[in-house]
Amino acid sequence: MEAKDQKKHRKKNSGPKPDKKKKRHLQDLQLGDEEDTQKRNPKAFAVQSAVRMARSFHRTQDLKTKKHHVPVVDRTPLEPPPIVVVVMGPPKVGKSTLIRCLIRNFTRQKLTEIRGPVTIVSGKKRRLTIIECGCDINMMIDLAKVADLVLMLIDASFGFEMETFEFLNICQVHGFPKIMGVLTHLDSFKYNKQLKKTKKRLKHRFWTEVYPGAKLFYLSGMVHGEYQNQEIHNLGRFITVMKFRPLTWQTSHPYILADRMEDLTKPEDIRMNIKCDRKLSLYGYLRGAHLKNKSHIHMPGVGDFAVSDISFLPDPCALPEQQKKRCLNEKEKLVYAPLSGVGGVLYDKDAVYVDLGGSHGFQGSDETRPTHELVQSLISTHSTIDAKIASSRVTLFSDSKPLGSEDIDNQWLRIPKEEKQMDLKTGRVRRKAIFGGDEDVSGVGDIEDDEEISEGDRLKNSSSDETEEEEDAEMTGKVYMVDKVVKWPRLEEMEENIERDVLAFADSDDDFERSSEDEGEVEEADESSEEEGSSAEGEKAILEPKSIEKGSKPGLLQSNGLIDSMNLEKTMKKVTLAVSDSGHYRTEEAFASEESSSLSTEKKDTENEEVIRKKFPKLSQVVSGQKLWSENSTDETSDIDLLKEEEDYKEENIYSIETSGALKWKEDLSRKAAEAFLRQQQATPNLQKLIYGTVTEDDEEEEEGDTREELGGLFRVTQPTRECKHKAEALDCSKFQLEVPHDWDLEEVMNSIRDCFVTGKWEEDKDAAKILAEDEELYGDFEDLETGDVHKGKSGLDTQIDDVEKELKEEIEPSAEESVKKKHLDKKRKLKELFDAEYDEGENTYFDDLKGEMQKQTQLNRAEFEDQDDEARVQYEGFRPGMYVRIEIENVPCEFVLNFDPHYPIILGGLGNSEGSLGYVQMRLKKHRWYKKILKSRDPIIFSVGWRRFQTIPLYYIEDHNGRQRLLKYTPQHMHCGATFWGPITPQGTGVLAIQFVSGITPDFRIAATGIVLDLDKSIKIVKKLKLTGFPYKIFKNTSFIKGMFNSALEVAKFEGAVVRTVSGIRGQIKKALRAPEGAFRASFEDKLLMSDIVFMRTWYPVSIPAFYNPVTSLLKPVGEKDTWSGMRTTGQLRLTHHIRLKPNKDSLYKLIVRQKKHFNSLYIPKALQKALPFKSKPKTQAKAGKTPRDRLRPAVVREPHERKILALLDALSTVHGHKLKKAKEQQHLHNKEHFILKQKEQEEKLKRQKDLRKKLFRIQGQKERRNQKSSLKGPEEQMK
Amino acid sequence: MATQTHSLSYAGCNFLRQRLVLSTLSGRPVKIRKIRARDDNPGLRDFEASFIRLLDKITNGSRIEINQTGTTLYYQPGLLYGGSVEHDCSVLRSIGYYLESLLCLAPFMKNPLRIVLRGVTNDQVDPSVDVLRATALPLLKQFGIDGESLELKIVRRGMPPGGGGEVFFSCPVRKFLRPIQLTDPGKIKRIRGMAYSVRVSPQMANRIVDSARSILNKFIPDIYIYTDHVKGINSGKSPGFGLSLVAETTNSTFLSAELASNPQGQGAAVLPEDLGRNCAKLLLEEIYRAWLEESPQSVSRTLVVLSFALDPCWEGEAVSLTRRIQGRLPGTVISPLCV
Repeated sequence: MEAKDQKKHRKKNSGPKPDKKKKRHLQDLQLGDEEDTQKRNPKAFAVQSAVRMARSFHRTQDLKTKKHHVPVVDRTPLEPPPIVVVVMGPPKVGKSTLIRCLIRNFTRQKLTEIRGPVTIVSGKKRRLTIIECGCDINMMIDLAKVADLVLMLIDASFGFEMETFEFLNICQVHGFPKIMGVLTHLDSFKYNKQLKKTKKRLKHRFWTEVYPGAKLFYLSGMVHGEYQNQEIHNLGRFITVMKFRPLTWQTSHPYILADRMEDLTKPEDIRMNIKCDRKLSLYGYLRGAHLKNKSHIHMPGVGDFAVSDISFLPDPCALPEQQKKRCLNEKEKLVYAPLSGVGGVLYDKDAVYVDLGGSHGFQGSDETRPTHELVQSLISTHSTIDAKIASSRVTLFSDSKPLGSEDIDNQWLRIPKEEKQMDLKTGRVRRKAIFGGDEDVSGVGDIEDDEEISEGDRLKNSSSDETEEEEDAEMTGKVYMVDKVVKWPRLEEMEENIERDVLAFADSDDDFERSSEDEGEVEEADESSEEEGSSAEGEKAILEPKSIEKGSKPGLLQSNGLIDSMNLEKTMKKVTLAVSDSGHYRTEEAFASEESSSLSTEKKDTENEEVIRKKFPKLSQVVSGQKLWSENSTDETSDIDLLKEEEDYKEENIYSIETSGALKWKEDLSRKAAEAFLRQQQATPNLQKLIYGTVTEDDEEEEEGDTREELGGLFRVTQPTRECKHKAEALDCSKFQLEVPHDWDLEEVMNSIRDCFVTGKWEEDKDAAKILAEDEELYGDFEDLETGDVHKGKSGLDTQIDDVEKELKEEIEPSAEESVKKKHLDKKRKLKELFDAEYDEGENTYFDDLKGEMQKQTQLNRAEFEDQDDEARVQYEGFRPGMYVRIEIENVPCEFVLNFDPHYPIILGGLGNSEGSLGYVQMRLKKHRWYKKILKSRDPIIFSVGWRRFQTIPLYYIEDHNGRQRLLKYTPQHMHCGATFWGPITPQGTGVLAIQFVSGITPDFRIAATGIVLDLDKSIKIVKKLKLTGFPYKIFKNTSFIKGMFNSALEVAKFEGAVVRTVSGIRGQIKKALRAPEGAFRASFEDKLLMSDIVFMRTWYPVSIPAFYNPVTSLLKPVGEKDTWSGMRTTGQLRLTHHIRLKPNKDSLYKLIVRQKKHFNSLYIPKALQKALPFKSKPKTQAKAGKTPRDRLRPAVVREPHERKILALLDALSTVHGHKLKKAKEQQHLHNKEHFILKQKEQEEKLKRQKDLRKKLFRIQGQKERRNQKSSLKGPEEQMK
Repeated sequence: MATQTHSLSYAGCNFLRQRLVLSTLSGRPVKIRKIRARDDNPGLRDFEASFIRLLDKITNGSRIEINQTGTTLYYQPGLLYGGSVEHDCSVLRSIGYYLESLLCLAPFMKNPLRIVLRGVTNDQVDPSVDVLRATALPLLKQFGIDGESLELKIVRRGMPPGGGGEVFFSCPVRKFLRPIQLTDPGKIKRIRGMAYSVRVSPQMANRIVDSARSILNKFIPDIYIYTDHVKGINSGKSPGFGLSLVAETTNSTFLSAELASNPQGQGAAVLPEDLGRNCAKLLLEEIYRAWLEESPQSVSRTLVVLSFALDPCWEGEAVSLTRRIQGRLPGTVISPLCV
């Protein structure tokens, strides 16, 4: 019996092994493989039904084409940016735990507190940026726009929550990223069955929202406060292998999910006005499309900004370089989350910051503020420049010891110049934290030492920095983020280097001071060059290789200032060009690499740089900027002496104190730098020059010419050169004007262009004869069928001989061998192409062609810049996605910095060309079916379109059959309608999301409507119906005089010929104005009017849309209140808050309807008619029943007392009897009921018995049958045996 | 609003068209100052005013502010709207002046542009309508803007100074543009031309053709020069004649040259033979410059290319293209672009 119960082994019927077996079997039978079955048994494969075949064919084709997507040119970069994984869910669902577990899974690191995005390397080719999304709708909207993958956490013990559905809807509107559900809290289920059921229910609901078959992950339970390792591992695997379909908006716009933010505002400015607009630098991976410098971006929650500068940095979380191994080693498992204080080393353009586990604190800035009264008082008085200088300097030193201005002056004299620069750099906002340590080492005298400190020093510096910072942290008792600390002058350092800090104020000083200083420097350089022109050779050698090594054009900066002094006028143009050309990046690089040669000159140069930068707020406006510059420079040269006097920095003193040695190397440097600069100029193609050509130069010259001739410092003689005028006001003509025509009668001139024609000579590879010959070689013999010529290739013998010869040749010259090889390869390739063309062409569909074309384009795009280095590349194509970039933005509201909350995502969304401008946007909108109210026209509402979230006032309309857009007061309940609002122009086809309020918590569904942008316009066509009514005051036959519709004859004149109608439906036309009552007119109708008629005219009145656009600035709200942004309130809300009740029109109020009874007159039938009527219909005139006469009335019965007694008795008896009967009946009923129940029971028992019986019977029957079957199965086996 | 993009500012009236066109395409407002500020006759000229009016007609929501003297122009571009438009061009410049810009803008309209331009069709300053039709339209076709509705029809010819010509231009709108590769010019395979004579003897055109052929025949045999003699109502208000030549290469790029007779009452009379010969030589010169000097070719074409490069939906491809052409661009053209 046991043997019976065991499962039998089932043979595999499919898979590779059975296939092999089958094949072998068939071969044994000599039947060949499966294809031959068709030959063997053609009938089985014959067409049975043409219709069915057609259908099946259609079906397969349909399925095939369904899979097709419109092919797009693949623009994804080779090294893609990290994938944005948004972990979303209602509160307390386990988001942070999941993130922590995922990070631990990938990097083996535990993060204690996670703030902002965390970037990790998850595999050889993939990085992830994980960010948590709370249930603030602002955050949800922003993150849905940048997400590549959404992990949607669902509390299984609770079920779906509104946030989940809201987020799904947001995602649907803003492109649908990949969504993966994760069920948590599964351990709260006690019964397995219940768990299973819940899982299934949730899964199916999830599928209806996302798509059937969407992945839903189950995290079964927690172990020690974390999810189970295996499950997290599996989830991680899913994430790492996931594929993504590009989303339109994301691929067509550059965007950055910033993972780091720095405030670059000058501390001085902040001190002066804490509410001043800030300058920020934001860091993050660039995603989506290419981002160009100076383009416009939108920061959701903050506003629109122009990128003032952008540069790329080395990847802080780079993918592993070699990919030979299967998995990453521990070193390559990087994690980068600066906002959470993770990432160890931070790279800036010019510095490296090492984090020591300190956390982030922007409030710390207040701590460094001076507390001493003297200092305070110094700060408060900023009347003169001197005072300002003093105060600003003193502010840098805090609680230690107050310094008087005399001290400072004394120190000033002792300060070596080089060190000023150092301090300047430390004083500069966040620029150079490195230089803290070696300042003591490099004194005034040992310049040589100073120079030899090269890049290696940087490490040392940074390490010393570290220690300093540590101490700092200890001292202040506050925890600073590293970069922040760097930004703010450190107390300790202050104490150490009081003297060195003296010049730090220069950075925070205003423009004028700096420029004057700058001029002084120019002068200084001049002097030094005069003194010692030749002694520089020695140092040259030291500096030169360094500058070359760095590759970051260190000379550029120096030259900037120094060339001024040497040949100012000539090179001025070049300098400015260089500045604008290389952008800030290069100059900043120079900063970084030149710390060894940190000289006063350089410092000046950097200042110079800044001056230039200030003067050119936009590099794009170089033309105008150059003018400024040139003016400035010419001023410098002409008024040097004047300036010298103006100098109140006592710089002359410094010069005298400084040794000649210092000047010597400085001098040398200048020339060196100049040379390096010139070299640079020659080496790199100057984009600026290429682009702006000669025009800008001319402009400049013109300006110079202008400034040179100055009379008495007041008037200028404008003598624009003729040529310049020509250029600026040239004829706007696209034809090229020929200066020196050639003499085309000369033979040589003619010959020079002969090859440009098809009749001329061709290049080697294109010459028809050559190609023909090659072809011949390839194919050998062929016969021209038309002419009958037989072409013969080389005979076998010949080729053999050739081969021998070739071999010989190859031995002689190896280069020839290569060429032969190449030729051979070419030949092969050609043959392959021919073959491909022959065999593949037939099956190629249009789709394949299209795809191929796109692929070709992709390759072309990739190949275009492949061989260039990034610096040049970004200038052509912009910064490509995948780069880690640093973006500088100016004029950011201070609230953004003051109320910075790293938990909220900072997104920089690039804007397209026209997306910055405002206009009317039309869209198709539908109220969300889960939103409880309908939306009202002219009620402010918050839209999320493109990157933006903003409040605006929409008008809803519906389109009539004739294309008229008719205003609606409210959106339809369940229908699409149009909506138009005034706001930022966004391309057609962009999804739109509407929310009534972003603040407050409501249990209801928050998404009010969804839609799509249909049309953009700068004008609108929405109209509303307007009925003008009038009353006839004089009626002729068909003509009437109407009054009350218009106010003047002029108005009537405008409406002449318009159609009018009465309420009763008589149509008519306006004819002409009448004189008598103002505004009356004559109108003709199709019938005679009544005086009681009302005449009306239907008109359409265009409505205007209020130009109200209010970006939702939720990120500017204080921390913890970021979800409380409220904009303009609706009238309803206002009424509610101010308790204003709407006074309704009395006429429109509902009243109780009182209907009066209607009285009809009696029907009167004329006598003649009565006569004619049949009897049935004749009115019957019956006499009224009279009073019954007295005698007919029955007399009343008066009983005797005896009789009365009898009657009473009878009454009583009958009552008793009745009661008896009733009782008996009740009893009978009860009895019946019991009997019925008994009967029912009996019946049931009987049925049951019968059922059992039947069951038994069937079982026996079945057993019998089975036995029979078994025996029949066994039969043959037994026979076999 | 805070997001309002700040305007770019320029001085001088040079490249007015380019600046306005590129501003329209990029959506950034421009301010142009000092327009002939030091001239005896300061401010915008009639033809420039007419051009601005034309821009206003084809856009929706543009804001144009000109100061009283006409020396300062502020232009805030609206949406390119298109549709059916009629415009009377100034006779100071030929229709080519307007058409060049329209060629850049037309593919990016909201509705297909159908425009009737009236004025001077051929003059000595601007590229004539014939040349634009022969060179710019094929270029547009290469970008994928083709079909029946891409049309440039010369309804009437009008010579300066009277004008009276009429041109009909219509351009379809395409959702996607095809990337092109203009790296190899190829070799010239044929030369076509159009010799026209307006209100003069029909023999003039034939004389031009003969003289031009006498020079060009030395290089290539495939030459055909059409003659177009217009008379009656189609011939505008002034007499004149001229020749435009177009050389087509194997890679279907085009080189053109043209000459027109002096306007009536201005300058000496021109012999048709001289005109033909000179025009042929101009073409050779153009070829020489294109191949041997690698210097700017027809500017209108590069401008078209540039305008395409500016188109947002086209970014990736355009990158490579602009780089390729940049070497050959006259600095004048690109300067307004690099904003």
